Amino acid sequence: MISKEDARKSVFSAIHKYVKCDVTESTVLLGSDTGINSMQLVELCLELEDKSLVFGFEFDWTSDVAMSRSRSMFRTAGSLASEFIDQMETKK
Amino acid sequence: MIIVTGASRGLGNAICKRLISKNISVLGLARYTDDLTFESMSCDVSSYESVKNIAQRLRKDGISIAGLINAAGIASMNLAVTTPQNVSMNIINTNLLGTIYCCQLIAPLMARNKTGSIINFSTIAVALGLKGESIYAASKAGVEGFTRSFAREMADFNIKVNCIAPGPIDTDLIRGVTPTQIQKIVSQQIIPKQFTPDAVSDLVEILLDPRSNSLSAQVLHIGGA
Repeated sequence: MISKEDARKSVFSAIHKYVKCDVTESTVLLGSDTGINSMQLVELCLELEDKSLVFGFEFDWTSDVAMSRSRSMFRTAGSLASEFIDQMETKK
Repeated sequence: MIIVTGASRGLGNAICKRLISKNISVLGLARYTDDLTFESMSCDVSSYESVKNIAQRLRKDGISIAGLINAAGIASMNLAVTTPQNVSMNIINTNLLGTIYCCQLIAPLMARNKTGSIINFSTIAVALGLKGESIYAASKAGVEGFTRSFAREMADFNIKVNCIAPGPIDTDLIRGVTPTQIQKIVSQQIIPKQFTPDAVSDLVEILLDPRSNSLSAQVLHIGGA
């Protein structure tokens, strides 16, 4: 079973393809110059879905606050990784 | 492979048969598939979970999806004020939410390939504001609006999203409409004649063809409106 830390690294690795800087917990994904556009957001979701299936669960990227700068799982790399890990822990 | 909803009867069934006759691989979705002679799976498009199960299975099986045709639909000729609440819900759930669910859950499979064509279905009742079809027209107006916005969201992935809006085609859907009523509607079309399912299948073929790749977010009226 993959560890939480490895799962976080895996999410950061996926994000790194789309941002123009090193990925940290606070790397902003939505609504900044270095953030990702809508196409990259969907591509990132597809990639995380693929990863989740390898890890034994299915990542659900739908959310009623997906585009919220204050509450979205996509607001930072850290928030996305945390949501990914939460779902991994819950659905396993 | 082309996914066709509403495959058991009406336009969906006619489209499936046309595509199969052209050696195009088709997967028909319908609530009841026992009588279908082509590849099919049971699915209630008004159920998010039912559509999600189909999408999960297609992804698991590695099926490459080239097109999605959302032909599943129901109609009810009735005045808005005499339409029962459950009928209104069924029309919206099947026609509008069914189309949205299929697009939401199957388009990501197409986005992986960066190509595809999605065809939704509206009706001449939207353009003409037909009396006695207000709830049906509302559900289809929603489909038209969804089509235009969703087309922008999918353009990044080289997926075109269009809408076919037929007049009264001779299928089960309009069995409750009298010949006089049909003629009255047909007379308001730009081309005042009743078209057959073949005309719809022709347009479906065109919209699936790469030669229509410049078209997206369009509502195409069979017969003109």
